[in-house]
Amino acid sequence: MKKEKGFAVLLKKNDNLLEFKINPKIYTLNAIYKTAYFFLDKVYIFLDGDPKKEIKVTMKSKSGMGELEKVASEFYNELLNQLLREKVSYTNAKVREFIVAKALYNAVPNEVDELLKEVEEEDWQEDPLGIAKTWEEQQAEKGEKSKKSKKSRPSLTPSLKLRSTKKLRPMKKKGKK
Amino acid sequence: METIDFNKKIYCIDNIKKTAEEFKNLSDISVKEIGGKIKVTFDKIDPEYKDVIKDEFANFVLGLMG
Repeated sequence: MKKEKGFAVLLKKNDNLLEFKINPKIYTLNAIYKTAYFFLDKVYIFLDGDPKKEIKVTMKSKSGMGELEKVASEFYNELLNQLLREKVSYTNAKVREFIVAKALYNAVPNEVDELLKEVEEEDWQEDPLGIAKTWEEQQAEKGEKSKKSKKSRPSLTPSLKLRSTKKLRPMKKKGKK
Repeated sequence: METIDFNKKIYCIDNIKKTAEEFKNLSDISVKEIGGKIKVTFDKIDPEYKDVIKDEFANFVLGLMG
């Protein structure tokens, strides 16, 4: 029994077996695989033919209840659905890749982030070498230090004191007595 | 003995071999490439699955293709 049904040609063999053909120039082989996968739980499907010219789909009912024509019609609808998915997937491929790459990049801490974290954790305000101080501040500190050092210098021994005082005394001329 | 001829342009032999490995408990299965076809032969089929083994095998292969 040959039945023209819109774009599909249904070749009904018997109640439990149905054959129809798909134009691979309209529907890609990948879309046909995915559509067939969608119906695997309802019917047995076998593909044959030439992927460049015509693909023959054979459907066999699992329950033996018939209704294969209805399943075949749904098969065509699902084919369109898969074809659309394929096209949307193709057009959005770059955006999708970008989103995934960004998500992965953010999920994995990289070396730069670790170094930045280390730097942030360090107490940079300590400034042990005094690099952050201005010249004036450094000079003022030096002045204070020198004053302190003079004040806090340990008291000179008596002999040294004598020497120092001697130096200050005017020299006596040897010839005068 | 039962046979199925898979079209090489549509079915992938690796998937057929994987399926044969999955079905080995139900039957003795041999996979051979002959021309543009992949011939799968079922021998000593488990009587419980004799009626459906070919169809189930083809569906399983298609499931791996999708």
